[in-house]
Amino acid sequence: MSMLRVVGLSAGYGPVSVLQGIDLEVGEGEFVVMLGANGAGKTTTMRAISGLISRQGLVEVAGDDITKWSPDHIVRAGVAQVPQGRGTFPELSVEDNMLAGAYVRHGGHDVRDDMHKWFEVFPRLGERRHQRAGSLSGGEQQMLAIARALMSRPKLLLCDEPSLGLAPLITQELFGVLERLNRDEGLSVLLVEQNANLAMHIASRVYLLETGNIVASGTSAELSADDSIRKAYLGF
Amino acid sequence: MKSLFTIREGGAANWTLRVITMVAIVGLMLYIPTKWEAGTLNTAIEGLTYMSAAMALNLVLGYTGQISIGHSAFLGIGAYTTGIMVSRWGFSPWVTFPVAFGIAFVIGVLISFPAARIKGVYLALVTLALGLVFPQLATWKKLAWITGGGSGLPIACPATGVSRSCEGTEVPTTGFNIGPKSKGQMQTFEIFGWNPFGDLRRPDNKAAFYYWIALVVAIIVYLACRGVVKSRVGRSLIAIRDNETAAAVMGVNLVRTKAFVFGLSAGLCALPGCVTAIKTGGVSPEGIINMTVRGAITFLIVMVIGGAGSLAGPVIGGALYVFVVDKTGTWADDDKIPGVLRPFFAWSEIPPGDGIFAVLLILLMFVAPRGIAGLWKQYIHRIVRVIPRPAGAIGATPAMATATATPTSNHEGEPQ
Amino acid sequence: MDFSLLLQRVIDGISQGSVYALIALGLVIIYRGTGHLNFAQGEMALFATYCVYQFGEWGIPVWIALFMGMGVGFVVGAVSEVTLIRPISKKSPFAVFIVTLGLFTFLNWLDGAIWGNQQLPNSGVGSKQQSFPDLFPADPEDQFNFLGASIRYERIGILLLVLVITGLLFLLFNKTKFGLAMRAVASNTESAKLAGIRTNLVLMVSWGLAAAIGAVGGVVMGGLNNSVGLGLMFSIFIYGSAAATLGGFDSPGGAVVGGLAIGLIENLSSGYAQKWIGQELKLAVALAIIVAVLLVKPSGLFGTEKVERV
Ligand SMILES: Nc1ncnc2c1ncn2[C@@H]1O[C@H](COP(=O)(O)OP(=O)(O)O)[C@@H](O)[C@H]1O
Ligand SMILES: [Mg+2]
Repeated sequence: MSMLRVVGLSAGYGPVSVLQGIDLEVGEGEFVVMLGANGAGKTTTMRAISGLISRQGLVEVAGDDITKWSPDHIVRAGVAQVPQGRGTFPELSVEDNMLAGAYVRHGGHDVRDDMHKWFEVFPRLGERRHQRAGSLSGGEQQMLAIARALMSRPKLLLCDEPSLGLAPLITQELFGVLERLNRDEGLSVLLVEQNANLAMHIASRVYLLETGNIVASGTSAELSADDSIRKAYLGF
Repeated sequence: MKSLFTIREGGAANWTLRVITMVAIVGLMLYIPTKWEAGTLNTAIEGLTYMSAAMALNLVLGYTGQISIGHSAFLGIGAYTTGIMVSRWGFSPWVTFPVAFGIAFVIGVLISFPAARIKGVYLALVTLALGLVFPQLATWKKLAWITGGGSGLPIACPATGVSRSCEGTEVPTTGFNIGPKSKGQMQTFEIFGWNPFGDLRRPDNKAAFYYWIALVVAIIVYLACRGVVKSRVGRSLIAIRDNETAAAVMGVNLVRTKAFVFGLSAGLCALPGCVTAIKTGGVSPEGIINMTVRGAITFLIVMVIGGAGSLAGPVIGGALYVFVVDKTGTWADDDKIPGVLRPFFAWSEIPPGDGIFAVLLILLMFVAPRGIAGLWKQYIHRIVRVIPRPAGAIGATPAMATATATPTSNHEGEPQ
Repeated sequence: MDFSLLLQRVIDGISQGSVYALIALGLVIIYRGTGHLNFAQGEMALFATYCVYQFGEWGIPVWIALFMGMGVGFVVGAVSEVTLIRPISKKSPFAVFIVTLGLFTFLNWLDGAIWGNQQLPNSGVGSKQQSFPDLFPADPEDQFNFLGASIRYERIGILLLVLVITGLLFLLFNKTKFGLAMRAVASNTESAKLAGIRTNLVLMVSWGLAAAIGAVGGVVMGGLNNSVGLGLMFSIFIYGSAAATLGGFDSPGGAVVGGLAIGLIENLSSGYAQKWIGQELKLAVALAIIVAVLLVKPSGLFGTEKVERV
């Protein structure tokens, strides 16, 4: 059974249709990357999966049809998203950000334990736990956004261009964390990227999105072996 | 969308339609004072007042998107200008109109500068503050030497000198002195020997006379708004409302344009104030409710229901408002409610006018954010479609070229 | 300078200001959640205040009536949000403003339609109560001397009540999960949704809460005036929004400080500048100060600078 199965998903904004019926799948414990140029519809895909915008087609999480579910139900079903840009609550302290991330969970002690666990994974967040999230650096905010998403104990993590605006070194660090989470905790990940080079290394499979359609998919090796795809989309 | 008839702009059919509309409107306006008695005429005057004030308000709100809940203050400035000039200094009321316009214009321009800096919620609140403070200032003890303080100014008194009290004098009937030198009240209004209104001491004649003044003021305000909207300034206004940055790029001087429009709006709003002062025969916030915030809110309601951002909107809104308020004004008394409607309104202790308009206002925001005029524009296409003249044919001035450069400026910014 | 007079004016000012603070708090709660100014805030409170008068007519003790009135306020606020504000906010901020203005007019008319346009209680229309129910002892002799100033129990009671409400709100915001959700929605609605927070529920409750708090303000004002009338809440709304403006529209603490400050300014300026300013202009003074603050610091004293949504 796959973690996420999307069949014929279309979505858009009012009269503007962006996704023209896409299919994709993320297996349990898989690390999948979606690549595509600016404006291809990657963010729209993520928002549609999380139920932030209205959508047609089928979205299944661990076998449940969640197409008609509201965003909070989808979070409860085990899907967490790190949205594009700064997905934090800038006016709230780092700790409150983390606690808000655990909003769907019950029980105080567990939540606190989890928070300390993630503060160990992201030590800089732990040091700044009482600071306002808005006062963190870009990289720290992105880490906070990921940690916040993890606080809901998701089975599937959707990550929308976490590298945006970060220095290459920080991006590498971030991807390292994601890779470890995937390997050690068995977390399924769907990562959206523009920067093909970096993402291809950690992906088990890759989808290529162009103007609302999946134009190619396969393992990293398969796609980089295909010359035409490599030249046209991957840029290396 | 199919329409029943298609006609060309500027063609014979279009002109026929225009002439018919004009004749109908002018005919109605001429007919009203000949047939109606004082009570109804006073309602009509009130309607014209709301139309004028809402048209003035429409310039800032409908065309620049700045919210103002303070326009009652400008109406008040007009009323007090007339009151003070006539009763204190013995000026002719005619003279007070341009003076009131000028004063309100200057104040409007001054206010526009902070207004341009303050946005959204805060601007609404600051203009609301203006509307609230005006009546307080006007009745302030320290200004009583000129405004008459809490009791206001009677302008129906013989204007023989500064601050002469009216008490003890016989209250004259016209409330209107013509010319600084005239002693006592004007009893007839003659134009080159023609006396259209007869003896102005008769209430019906007096009301007809005031009706004409209110009508001329409303027409002047309409023409001024029309002039602005159709001009280069108007085009830039619409551009500003729709996209401030784009307008700035187009070379529209934001600050100066907004200042001019705010000033003009304030000045025009003062004119119905002058009319109200003359009609009321006295000036005080209690006597002229429209110079309090209540008035400002009514202007807003009238404008939005009629249609913000359209020339005809305030006219429609004003007419509808006084019609409904007048017809339902006595409905606090259950016996006065027409039979079928009685079960719906009998429970109410007060007339239902405000309730009806509140519900209408909310409903319209959902179905037709551009008011009745917007609805009209939307549905008239089903019946008659006017094909615009091809761009660049006749009179393609640089202003029009600018207009076409903004993608959103066609259709006067109708909702998408 | 007469110290006891100063003390008395300060206490009167603070207790008056605490009512403004209540309205301001309601405005801030709504503004933080949605970015809208609820023009009908005062009128929602007025409707609830009329209800409290009605409960009093039915013989319900004032404190119970107060809680019932808060309940009425909550329902009015929550229903308005769900049926009107939420759908219209998809259109434009201007539309939201006009709808709250329509609500303002409608509620005021509704009060008049139900209860008439005279001051209540009024034996002429058959009121059983002598005066509007008082939350605290408010007879002329209910006062004590403190450092030469005679201080009314009512004033102290109101101040304490407002402090308790503010304290409870503070606990709600900062110590409860729902408060966390409210702050999260105010900070970033989209991320709040992604954290599984039911933002619609939060907004509905926010509007309800704001109107319930306003209801307390209305009942307090009714008690101070000894009656309720159609114009009771309008000036309070103005002072309340002035307080919110002064404090910064997104800061609950600022709202309280702003409310108290305006109460003080109002009482001290009209008291000490009696000759010059006097009663008529005290509102003008308060508003002038606020306009000045806005021109120097467009986001208020404690507000955070951010892009305007209206
Ligand atoms: N809120 C919106 N309203 C209308 N169109 C939008 C909105 N957000 C994105 N779009 C459009 O949808 C398309 C896809 O955008 P997006 O999903 O953000 O692309 P990506 O994340 O791949 O860069 C773009 O053409 C964009 O202009
Ligand atoms: Mg994107």
